[in-house]
Amino acid sequence: MENSRACKSCKKKTVIRDEISGNCVCVSCGIEQEFDNFQAHYSGIDGPQGIFVRVGASGGGGDYNYKEKKIYQAQKTIEDIASKLGFSTARSSEVKQMIETITEGEFGCGNWFPILVGACSYVVMRKNKRSLPIAEVASTIGCDIYELGRMIARVVDFLDLNLPEFDIVTSFEWAIQSCPSFSGISKEKLDRMVNQGRFLLQCAIKWFLTTGRKPLPVVAAVMVFVAELNNVEVGIEIVSKEIHAVVATSRRRHKELQKGLVEVAQALPWGKDVTVKNIVKNAPFVFQYMEMKSRLKPGEKTKNLETVGFNLEDMVSGCLRKEVEFEYATDNGKKDDDSQYFEVEDRNGIASQSVDDLEKLKLSQDSLSRIYSQFSNGAAHVKSVRESGKDHRRKRRRGSELHASTEWWTGKSDLCKKLSLEQILEKNVGCNALPPSFVSAVLKCKRRREKITSAKLRINEIMRPPNTYSGDKEDLSLLKILRASKKRQGMKFGDIDWEDYIIEILLLHQVKEEEIEKGHYNALLDLHVFNYCLMSVNESLITGKCSFTASEFWANVLYCFYLCKAAAEVWSKNSLHWFLGKSKEVPCSVPTLQQLIYEAGASLVLAGLAAEGMTEINGISHVDRGYENLEIKLQFLGADIKRLIHLPVGYDKKITLRAS
Amino acid sequence: MAEQVLEGSQPVDLSKHPSGIVPTLQNIVSTVNLDCKLDLKAIALQARNAEYNPKRFAAVIMRIREPKTTALIFASGKMVCTGAKSEQQSKLAARKYARIIQKLGFPAKFKDFKIQNIVASCDVKFPIRLEGLATTHCAFSSYEPEIFPGLIYRMKQPKIVLLIFVSGKIVLTGAKVRDETYMAFENIYPVLAEFRKIR
Repeated sequence: MENSRACKSCKKKTVIRDEISGNCVCVSCGIEQEFDNFQAHYSGIDGPQGIFVRVGASGGGGDYNYKEKKIYQAQKTIEDIASKLGFSTARSSEVKQMIETITEGEFGCGNWFPILVGACSYVVMRKNKRSLPIAEVASTIGCDIYELGRMIARVVDFLDLNLPEFDIVTSFEWAIQSCPSFSGISKEKLDRMVNQGRFLLQCAIKWFLTTGRKPLPVVAAVMVFVAELNNVEVGIEIVSKEIHAVVATSRRRHKELQKGLVEVAQALPWGKDVTVKNIVKNAPFVFQYMEMKSRLKPGEKTKNLETVGFNLEDMVSGCLRKEVEFEYATDNGKKDDDSQYFEVEDRNGIASQSVDDLEKLKLSQDSLSRIYSQFSNGAAHVKSVRESGKDHRRKRRRGSELHASTEWWTGKSDLCKKLSLEQILEKNVGCNALPPSFVSAVLKCKRRREKITSAKLRINEIMRPPNTYSGDKEDLSLLKILRASKKRQGMKFGDIDWEDYIIEILLLHQVKEEEIEKGHYNALLDLHVFNYCLMSVNESLITGKCSFTASEFWANVLYCFYLCKAAAEVWSKNSLHWFLGKSKEVPCSVPTLQQLIYEAGASLVLAGLAAEGMTEINGISHVDRGYENLEIKLQFLGADIKRLIHLPVGYDKKITLRAS
Repeated sequence: MAEQVLEGSQPVDLSKHPSGIVPTLQNIVSTVNLDCKLDLKAIALQARNAEYNPKRFAAVIMRIREPKTTALIFASGKMVCTGAKSEQQSKLAARKYARIIQKLGFPAKFKDFKIQNIVASCDVKFPIRLEGLATTHCAFSSYEPEIFPGLIYRMKQPKIVLLIFVSGKIVLTGAKVRDETYMAFENIYPVLAEFRKIR
């Protein structure tokens, strides 16, 4: 009451609001005050701001205040998201608690709040070593994955958490259990698929297929491969979409996985026949081989195949006896290749070549015989089918289903259980692949090295011609380049492209080959070429004389020449001679500078000044942009240079520099 | 000109770079105070290499080709110059921008030039097990393959952030002087070599 305003009649601060009428009345004198709906702020700084207009007489204290409403709605949002993510009550209350800690009990509303809820949900799951991919959370709350990632990083920073490492195997288990495409599969089969998937995924980890890559596409690829293996029909597109992986990336990972397995399969006797196309059919044997390899202790040596030559002979001939049945394990089209096995037989199985081939196996003889005993089991099965009088085509199809019916999968390998990274790396699965990005970097480096070598050869050819200036023979390689320059595709001139030109320029500027090999062309050009070359040209421009040595001049001229040539494409032999200072004859047409790089343009102007006769250079907008009022500056230096302005029919302003 | 020492064309100083690898500088960010209030609209209208869209960003973006750099010029007279490949180039570029502003009629000075960030990259030429590195150096590193393919290594001394990729490519950022970059790389190199072999 003390805080109320003074009564207009008695001046006492006893004005109250009448609950029924809503009017302000003085309690002491009873006089009704003038209408005023202003109410002071309440509930401190956290309370709502602004002037509150109370409509009518009702609503004294029945409605919730802002904060209560906000908290209520925030909790509703949390529950909603938690239920969409399939969280238990305990988990969702954990999320709620985390948000309460972060927001200091304020919770929140607005677009950012669901992202915070998503981030906390992810962190809670990760803390409990449960799988919940970021992509899944992002699609549930309808936000960008990177936005969510940033929020997760902030939550982790704020709470100073040390999250356990992301586990791709758990992620796979979650995906295969939750993916609708895999819902109709019997539990036994699903368990086997999970086991196989785990095995394959840990191999993928070993082969660097998961390092530094988004995990979900790899998971999708493994799921599809395992499904193919178990005759479950699912498409990679559907699986990828269901687990929120990018379809194209999943396809690529699937291919990489297949390639990895093909590489392992090379150790098998029929390894050469195994390709990406028939790897699924061969997968049981590859898996068995990998399982066996992985069960060997790291230091354990396999038996020397040569010492068991006799058994080997037996085994190979055994293999050959099953030749007919073997067909269905490989691609149907590969029948002709079977002749190689006959060849082995002719050489009595222990011929040096066959031993060499088989030495690659590093398999114990026991394991090989087991593989072949399984072959023969399978063959017996097929034989019974054959006897039942079905047609040949049918038999083949049954043959391909052999793997499904045969219990080739033992699941005894440790790799079928979840292992730590160290344990995975210790295992030998018959192949030690390098990361694809590393391999491609090595290849690129090799390609650059080749380019450097050929560029050096070309430079030598130009700088040290076999005979000194002798008519037609000089600059043969350059002319060759020019003649081949009709192709426009990607600025390619025959077999020389832009990269070759850059490499030549860098070599001419004494950049180390190791530096060029790295491929940071922009940085190297900026550091060594642009500064250096232009300063040289500028210096000659200002002082009117060249202070650089012959080789530097050569480098600059060639550099400018390459720039011109790369952009203009059209260049006559005459122009080349003129440009290289070997001819005084001015070329009839100097290419338009529209596409030329401006330094090259400026150098052309200088070359025009140096040449005899009159040179006209068209389309000099690039020169103008790089060198403002170049002709005036040159005129000051005594050059005979003019700017001609034509305004042709099209409104295109055509400016020409005439230098003589 | 001829006696100008070109970096990269000299043999590697093994006492300074025991690994034998010298990170290549890729970007230098510097700031300078022109010490005068600028009318950005006037600059945008007069300079031909400037772009200004106040709705998008409250600075004039100006580019020059030599050294190939981009500058952000603010109305307060502060300028940020990016894209240079060496400290000298960055300073030269900043001077050129200041000169352009002067030519447009502003009393621009060249105060408090400072290199703010140096970004360098290099290749160790062997693959790196990021998962292993992340577990053993968890105090410094963050590896979230779901969000970013590289491992982010926050080195404390010198205070540099390194992005380490599985292919063996490294990006070093956050240095104020080039030696910090070199030191950070020499510090991390033995660690990376440890994860070179498939352990």
